[in-house]
Amino acid sequence: MAEEFNTESMLDMFLYESGQLLEKLEGIILEKQDADCFDDADINEIFRVMHTIKGSSGVLMYENITKVTHKLEDVFYYLRESHPDDVPHMELVEKVLAVSDFVTGELDKLKNGDTPDGDEKELVEDLDEFLGRLKGEIKKQGIQMPQANKHVEPTQFYITPVAGDDSHFYRISIHYRSDTQMSNLRAYSATYALKEVAEDLLYTPDDILSNEASADVIVAEGFHMLLQTKSSKEDVIALIDSSEAEEINFDELSKEEYGRALGEFGREEAEPVVVAPVAAKDDSNKEAKKEGPKPGDYVVKTKEAGKGKTLAKNQPKQQSIISVNVEKMDALMDLIGELVIAEAVVLQNPDLKVPGLELSNFQKASGQLSKITTELQEVIMSMRMMPLTNTFQKMRRIVFDVSRKLGKDIELEVVGENTEVDKNIIEHITDPLMHLVRNSVDHGIEEDPADRTAVGKSSKGKITLEAKNEGGKVYISVKDDGKGLNKDKLYQKALDKGLIENKPMSEFTDKEIFRFITLPGFSTKEEVTEYSGRGVGMDVVVKNIQSISGRLDISSVEFEGSEMTLVIPLTLAIINGIVVQVGNSPFVIETASIKEFVRVGEDSLISEPSGEEYIVLRGECYPFIRLNERYDLPDSIDKIEEGIIVVLEHEGSQVCVLIDKLLQEQEIVVKPIPPYVRKVKGLSGCTQLGDGSIALILDIAGLLMHDGERR
Amino acid sequence: MKILLAEDDFASRKFMDKQLSRYGECDVMVDGEEAVDAFMMALEDGEPYDLACLDVMMPVMDGYQVLKAIRDIEAQKGIPKSKRVKVIMTTALNDERNVKMAFELGCEAYAGKPIDVEKFEKVLTKLGLI
Repeated sequence: MAEEFNTESMLDMFLYESGQLLEKLEGIILEKQDADCFDDADINEIFRVMHTIKGSSGVLMYENITKVTHKLEDVFYYLRESHPDDVPHMELVEKVLAVSDFVTGELDKLKNGDTPDGDEKELVEDLDEFLGRLKGEIKKQGIQMPQANKHVEPTQFYITPVAGDDSHFYRISIHYRSDTQMSNLRAYSATYALKEVAEDLLYTPDDILSNEASADVIVAEGFHMLLQTKSSKEDVIALIDSSEAEEINFDELSKEEYGRALGEFGREEAEPVVVAPVAAKDDSNKEAKKEGPKPGDYVVKTKEAGKGKTLAKNQPKQQSIISVNVEKMDALMDLIGELVIAEAVVLQNPDLKVPGLELSNFQKASGQLSKITTELQEVIMSMRMMPLTNTFQKMRRIVFDVSRKLGKDIELEVVGENTEVDKNIIEHITDPLMHLVRNSVDHGIEEDPADRTAVGKSSKGKITLEAKNEGGKVYISVKDDGKGLNKDKLYQKALDKGLIENKPMSEFTDKEIFRFITLPGFSTKEEVTEYSGRGVGMDVVVKNIQSISGRLDISSVEFEGSEMTLVIPLTLAIINGIVVQVGNSPFVIETASIKEFVRVGEDSLISEPSGEEYIVLRGECYPFIRLNERYDLPDSIDKIEEGIIVVLEHEGSQVCVLIDKLLQEQEIVVKPIPPYVRKVKGLSGCTQLGDGSIALILDIAGLLMHDGERR
Repeated sequence: MKILLAEDDFASRKFMDKQLSRYGECDVMVDGEEAVDAFMMALEDGEPYDLACLDVMMPVMDGYQVLKAIRDIEAQKGIPKSKRVKVIMTTALNDERNVKMAFELGCEAYAGKPIDVEKFEKVLTKLGLI
């Protein structure tokens, strides 16, 4: 682990820092979009952001980014120095957003390992023209022209390593004829020839020059090489002297395979990071000379670090105090999960059950331990929590862009943007949320303001984005005061497209009708616009939300507006579950999805000739699943009056399962089912129980789906 | 142009030598101490190097120590900043801290391995060497 610290590459740092700065920039811009002009603090801030990105992109030699940011920096330089009046604010806002989009686009290319090759010319010319007008305005207003903004060319450069993508990785094995003399020298000449083109070369046996006995090994086992190079297979083969060789095996490897192969060849895959040991390898009397910096001496006292601090200070809302690689957080989370399990194993250890043991001190100590592990768990959970601020900021931008493009006047109200959600979940909800917001702007709000005033609403549309935290769930809603959903239209459309059974409309509840819009292939808008209406949206939204065990609620009143609410769990890693037993196998069921436990008699069971079974409870009929049959569990209860029926609910559908007995309720650390186990329908993960045994976690959605398919 | 190349790995050395020889006479050293010696010698002969390419992971003295030694010698001899040898670090250590430290120690450029030859040449142009 240790060598992983602070090895974020220069490029990662650049991407991260610039990304943060751009986010902040958009925050400022969108907050002030409706103001008349930017105030001094904003101008300074935008100037500084542009200056920083310009500087670092200069060092990394991304010239198009440098040019664009430089131009915008110039614009803000004049604004800052001369304070001209009557700056066309909206135009300026658009310019800044254009630059921000351009840079974001280039950063995305870098993130994907592509070359940032976007053409900056048009944007630079555009900015130049704007700057020219600005200067003219400054002159006209009789303000003294500031000295030209001095652009200091960077004096230090960082050459990013070429992307590993165009490197090829080969495994080459040469088998010489058994009567070959001095095969070690032949092997050496092969390596020598390859060094010409090699970026990395490793071979075994590796003592071919110093150890004559290696010749025998080579003849017996062959000579194996790992090669990283830009040359093609043909070129490499041409380099190898193939006389005396009986067989040459040539495999092209992927980068990952190559990494693994390196391990087999006895080398660490990771690049060595420690500098000192290499130098220290040599005789110790040189030690005195070597007062140069050692890795431990690295003190980051660069300007950037200082800037980072002010950045944090000016930005109390975004709590970006330190940045930690998410992988490390995940690793820590995993470890704490293991710790919780290990704790249970210790505290419920069967050895403690020996009669007559004096355990009072042990109990005290274990109480303390439990308290600390619980706290630890809470702390790591809170560390993974992130406010929705950034996500909501993106939504602001979308409302701004789309409403301008469509020519609608829309106000966005944001409530509860500080609501905190697990980082993993934020990643999953951004796209769905974006879709919902777009839909609201595009379909929700009326095109013609007259339609709004006609029903007594103000001509300006309003969208409310709200997040709240309630009972272990997060509710995020997108509400518009637009035209709302028309039930008749929805019903007719779903029927026309053959998406629903042919039943009269009165047999569907309002909620069911609204849910039609989430069916694949449903779109109420006849024309497809740039932003929505392709009919592939809502079903994807629902799928994404379901993948993190959330759901989408829709409510709407015609002419008053609609509300789409995402209901998602606060966190995915630890759930509250009930451990049950079927046969000899423990299963975990998430507490929130259990409706009730009942014991019923044989008379409640309905068996269809096709083998399907149903349970009738208080006049309602539920599909019934025997877990023991589904998962082939021996020694389990077959008669339903001896077992317990659990009624499970997921998104309004219910299913009953038969279990043998209830064991306990506890916090469950969810672990994915290891990849070497085939994916089993109806199981979402596994966990380790206090006694060390593994319990499988039932996935209600999966059970229901499976059940549906069977029918 | 006179170039000093310090690199202990044979394959990299051969590659760099081939690249750099296009721009001028290239002296090749295999460890850090030799590099400092060669630098000193050239300075004393009045024919200082224009460019030094230093690997970081080298035996005896690592690239940072060489860089520091070179800058110290230059400071001691009162060589003005504009006349200093241009130093490019060439290494597979691409983490931010290493790069920043190299910059603080006074190198002109830091090239991550595998080296992007095109960009490398661009830097040489920017540094006014070619």
